[in-house]
Amino acid sequence: MTQEKPKPKEAPKPPPPPPEPIAGYNLATLKQAAELKNGSPLLACRFSPDARWLITTAQDNTIQQWDLAPDKDGKIAGKKVDMAGHASWTRAISFSADNKWLITAGYDGLLLTWPLGVAHPEPVRQVQAHTGWIRGVDCQANQVLTGGNDGRLAIHLLPDLRPSRAWQAHDCHIYQASFSPDGKFILSADLKGRVKVWDQQSGALVREFAVAALHKYDAGFGADIGGVRAWSFSPDGSSIVCTGITNVSNAFAGVGNPLYVVANWTTGEIRAELKPKEAFQGTGWGVCWHRAGFILGAAGGNGGMLWAWRDDFKVPVKPEPAKTEPKKDARKEEKKLEPIAEFVAHKLADNVRDMCLSANGKKLAIAYQGGIARVHTLA
Amino acid sequence: MMKHAWLPLSIVGIALWAVVGSSIHADAPKIVPPVAKDQPAKTAPVVAVAKPAAVPAKSGQPLAIDAAIALDEPTVSSLASSPCDDLTFLRRVHFDLVGGPPTVAEARAFLADKDSARRSRLIDRLLANPDHSWYWSQVLDAWWMERRPAKHVDAKLWRDYLRDSLAQGKGLDTLVKEMLTADGTDEKTRPAARFVLDRELDTHLVVRDISRLFLGANLQCAQCHDHPRIDNYKQAHYHGLLAYFQRTYLFDDPKLKKKVLAEKADGEVEFQSVFDPKKITRKRAPGVPGGPERPDPVLAKDQLYISAPAKEVRGVPRHSRRSLLANDLTAGKALARNLANRFWAQLLGKGVVHPLDQIHEDNPPSHPALLDSLTETLLQARYDHKALLRVICNSAAYQRGGEARAGQPKNAEDRLLIARLRPLSPEQMGHALLFATGQVEAERKALGAKATPEAVWPRVEAQAAPFIAVLAAQPGNPDQFEARLEQALFLANHGHLQQFLPPRPGNLMERLLAEKDPAKAADELYLAVFTRLSSADEKVEMARALQEKDKQTALRDLLWALLGSAEFRFIG
Amino acid sequence: MRPEIARYACNSPEHTLNRRSMLGVLGGGLATATSAGSLLANPLARQHKRVLMVFLSGGVSQLETWDPKPGAPTGGPFRAIPTSAPGVHICELLPYTASQMHRLALVRGVNTAEDDHGKGSHIIHTGRRQEPSLEYPHLGSVAAKFVADADNPIPGYLNVVPGGGGGSNAADAAFLGPRYGSVTISDGRAPANIDRPVDPLREQQRHDLRRAADQRFMARRKSAQTEAYTQTYDQALQLMQKKALFDLTSEPAKLTESYGTHDFGRHCVLARRLLEGGAPFVKISHTNYDTHHENFDFHIEQLAEFDKPFATLIEDLHQRGLLSTTLVMVVSEFGRTPNINRNYGRDHWSKAWSVALGGCGIRGGSFCGKTNAQGTEVVDRQVHGGHLFATYLKALGLDPAKKYYVDQRPIPMVDPTGSPIGEVLS
Repeated sequence: MTQEKPKPKEAPKPPPPPPEPIAGYNLATLKQAAELKNGSPLLACRFSPDARWLITTAQDNTIQQWDLAPDKDGKIAGKKVDMAGHASWTRAISFSADNKWLITAGYDGLLLTWPLGVAHPEPVRQVQAHTGWIRGVDCQANQVLTGGNDGRLAIHLLPDLRPSRAWQAHDCHIYQASFSPDGKFILSADLKGRVKVWDQQSGALVREFAVAALHKYDAGFGADIGGVRAWSFSPDGSSIVCTGITNVSNAFAGVGNPLYVVANWTTGEIRAELKPKEAFQGTGWGVCWHRAGFILGAAGGNGGMLWAWRDDFKVPVKPEPAKTEPKKDARKEEKKLEPIAEFVAHKLADNVRDMCLSANGKKLAIAYQGGIARVHTLA
Repeated sequence: MMKHAWLPLSIVGIALWAVVGSSIHADAPKIVPPVAKDQPAKTAPVVAVAKPAAVPAKSGQPLAIDAAIALDEPTVSSLASSPCDDLTFLRRVHFDLVGGPPTVAEARAFLADKDSARRSRLIDRLLANPDHSWYWSQVLDAWWMERRPAKHVDAKLWRDYLRDSLAQGKGLDTLVKEMLTADGTDEKTRPAARFVLDRELDTHLVVRDISRLFLGANLQCAQCHDHPRIDNYKQAHYHGLLAYFQRTYLFDDPKLKKKVLAEKADGEVEFQSVFDPKKITRKRAPGVPGGPERPDPVLAKDQLYISAPAKEVRGVPRHSRRSLLANDLTAGKALARNLANRFWAQLLGKGVVHPLDQIHEDNPPSHPALLDSLTETLLQARYDHKALLRVICNSAAYQRGGEARAGQPKNAEDRLLIARLRPLSPEQMGHALLFATGQVEAERKALGAKATPEAVWPRVEAQAAPFIAVLAAQPGNPDQFEARLEQALFLANHGHLQQFLPPRPGNLMERLLAEKDPAKAADELYLAVFTRLSSADEKVEMARALQEKDKQTALRDLLWALLGSAEFRFIG
Repeated sequence: MRPEIARYACNSPEHTLNRRSMLGVLGGGLATATSAGSLLANPLARQHKRVLMVFLSGGVSQLETWDPKPGAPTGGPFRAIPTSAPGVHICELLPYTASQMHRLALVRGVNTAEDDHGKGSHIIHTGRRQEPSLEYPHLGSVAAKFVADADNPIPGYLNVVPGGGGGSNAADAAFLGPRYGSVTISDGRAPANIDRPVDPLREQQRHDLRRAADQRFMARRKSAQTEAYTQTYDQALQLMQKKALFDLTSEPAKLTESYGTHDFGRHCVLARRLLEGGAPFVKISHTNYDTHHENFDFHIEQLAEFDKPFATLIEDLHQRGLLSTTLVMVVSEFGRTPNINRNYGRDHWSKAWSVALGGCGIRGGSFCGKTNAQGTEVVDRQVHGGHLFATYLKALGLDPAKKYYVDQRPIPMVDPTGSPIGEVLS
């Protein structure tokens, strides 16, 4: 309505050159392979290991299985099967590596296994894995790892979901739980942005560090805001990129910005902060580290955005502040990272709720608040 | 609005005869028997409270205050309370002109003064006193900065600037102009830029506060649409003011290492109403409410800047919209009218238009001719605030007594028929505690020959600060009286007040302990605390205290009790 | 007798009439027969009735508390759980409260038709919409005037607020007069400067001197402001006498643990101590529920903090025999939209929300009012702020049909379009 406060004039910028393709991937345009329409707003999405199926979850407690097999013209019809099994929302989706089982964990604390790709899937096994919400699930061999709002991590064994091990891991809600790519460790992250690394065999705590930028206690509202809303391992497995919301000035109106923080989980060192060039108000809901050397980040808030950053970042470090400046808090004493800007940005039609990448890196899916999932082909 | 400004002399004459004709008897006992209507008292006025009858409005002269009130409120001749007594007047005018109560010595001297012009002479004396500029710089600071913390400009330098301006007799219009044009680059004029700089050049805040504090019209609700309830607060008014500031930006001066103001030569204000379904965008050139739009002069592209903005270069346009605002704001009568209303509210406890930032057609002044008179007085005196204060303090309305008179209506205070019982401002209360206990006199005594205002005032201000902090409004809000529990707890229990009670050379307790005669001690105490003589009951109470074994404790408790009483907290 | 209604236009002669002559006029037969004064509350004070208001600031979601709609498109992720009251299900976020539902009642058909925080809060505190012409007293001020035991030296309307800020607000009492205004207890801590600097006898003496000075002055000049000012000293003294109530260290460790050590837990313990100590009205607040973003995450956080202390407080009041004389209400400015917005938030919604009541005069386990399947509208027994206010007065044994007299003008104590909700009254 009114103009922004005047800023000193700057010389007009030349239009940015089109981004160069990375290892054969041209991200300047997003090629849509399928638009999958569901009635209820979507919450999460994951490709099956063979990328034949896309699983989404929705606000009406249902789960959708979309068939991504192309027809004879090469088009994806996206035949949908609705699945009912949870008494609440589900945001945690995983699979057995052999494409046999779909594993879901819900806000009702239930862990379910379903046969994947059948015409009328029904839950095969069901256990009450946690009290309260489960937000993190991962599967490795026959082990199913979950993390819940009860602060516990639990392992159940396929195929019957027999309890194997469970322990109190965090003092607040767990937002992520994953096996490390080499399978030797378990990583978990919570509402306060703390990441813990556990020995897979012994269950001993190996390391703990904080992605502090992704959490804040909003004293005005008397509540914590933040958490690792999505994460993804680097191709070499040693780093992990975490996303969520940062710079929160008003938690209850969601005034803050998405941020993508890269950490070396084997040392606990924060390597880089990936930040959109143009400020976007919202939360990072999806992040995928592509093996071709780039990181995709998606966010929802006032609409949706998708950004891509190169992962060959050499991290510039901000010069130390002048010595005379009083040190106000511990965080400021840490090394200040100069944020790294994306090389490509796409405005999306709607608020992003989740994003996933197929195992071969060729397909990208984004789930939207409006009840639509879009599948894109990366080339 | 101006319909009462110029009147047939005959009407004025009758009205004034009525005002002056009612019993003005400064030395009279407290309770004056009500004077029957239409039958002026025979006693000749002892003190010349107001002289309007002798000087009826000449062409070009503003109507005198009391004459104006008589037009607005014809019952004033029959229903107004008698004038207040000398000591009530003394206390009132001391608080209003120098920010604290008179000392006992000053009170006794005034009681002894038999000159019929003693009140107006006192007013002149107080206005000439350096204390006046010290105190009124606090008032203007509280009005205009509303206790915002200092961010870019030293608050002391700002106060010095206000004080020097007042002492030099700088017109308030000039002061306002300087506040809007100073860019902070010159250390000499940088303090004037505090109004804008310490609002961090938040343009919406600056525009809101210019409209509230300088125009008396809170246009905040007109930012996004025409005001829903006030017909003459338009969205275009808001954006007209915004356009003056739109191009100004904060600039980090590389040499000064401070924030200063810079300005661009482009940038237009456009706005839509949130109520407009078609979302039509309108452009707005600068302009004050009710004034013409002020389009930019046409300049060649290479003529736009004295120095064009760049990195490390402060933008200075040839045509500065912000400087234009300083001119436009002070050109009409709106600034004078707002200031006149605020001065009246400061001295009488309520604005002629009230609330002070709601000057508009649906909220007419309670006394239109009075507001015109005050406005014209200020304009004719070229915004000399002392001229306005002098006229107000000399008026019968200001010197009205607080004793009710038979037949007065319920809203007699609002109708200016009786003195309003008004709370001390945070500054006045802070000073009052230090004056009443004799702390200020003790400080002066300790300083001896060095007791200049420059030496005494900083000490008074530092000692008053804790009181002011507990009484003042939150930053960014105007002060208003609130009786709050923590204020009572502070005054009752905190050590800050208690420390001023024990005897100290030159202070009240020292004098009380030295006085053997209970009647004299009681008068000393009541003159110091309430600026009045003690009553018979109060003398008995004092006698009892002096008989206590621990006389000092008893006197301290009595002194504290009076400081905690309503009579101390309010101006009668 | 006519209630003492403070009214000060000025120092006009009417106003300076002394008390005897005022009573004389009333004795002369001009007094109106019905007046709230006839309920002046000696009998009630002897019964030591009290009020506990729990204010969930920002607008708590009815769907995540008292009126869950699991499975509905608007229902959100939470399930409903059975409670100790047969037939009453509430949201799974309140498991401890669920075990106290047989002592509580639910009003599920509240429609206050006001989605603004300030205006909604006004309705909840006064039972009326804001009117430009007249300010109405808060329920706390009404209780301070009509329920308080005059002998108990504790301010009648205590407002325990989280965080800083403080003081008292005489304006809350409107025409009832500043002595019934609220006194703010910041962060549940004893106010600053509560310790007397002198011994009690001297304290008494110096305040007697102050009162004598005030009396002399106010016989000549007074206003609402002078009265409010002198009142604050007496409130200060009252509070100083009751300083021990603020000391929570004497509570058994097990009990304080059960209440929880966070702010709201502490404030609940303090509320019980204040009520037990004779305070007629205590308001505690829990902040904040204005969840336009991440409604569900935040309701987990906030209600987890609310649930156990609140349930402990109800149980504690019951075990001490105080619940039957303490009217409890859990209120908010409004509820939240059934529609879940794109940021997992819910916005302001006053059309169909819920209030929980309990204790004095309330039938435990009862419920009243019904919303439709999606929770968007009240379909049975719709009530507004006036009904709630009438219910409070009735539950306390006051007659909601009575009137105040302000400047001779009759003012109904309760919005006349609202009547007590009989279904939840015992």
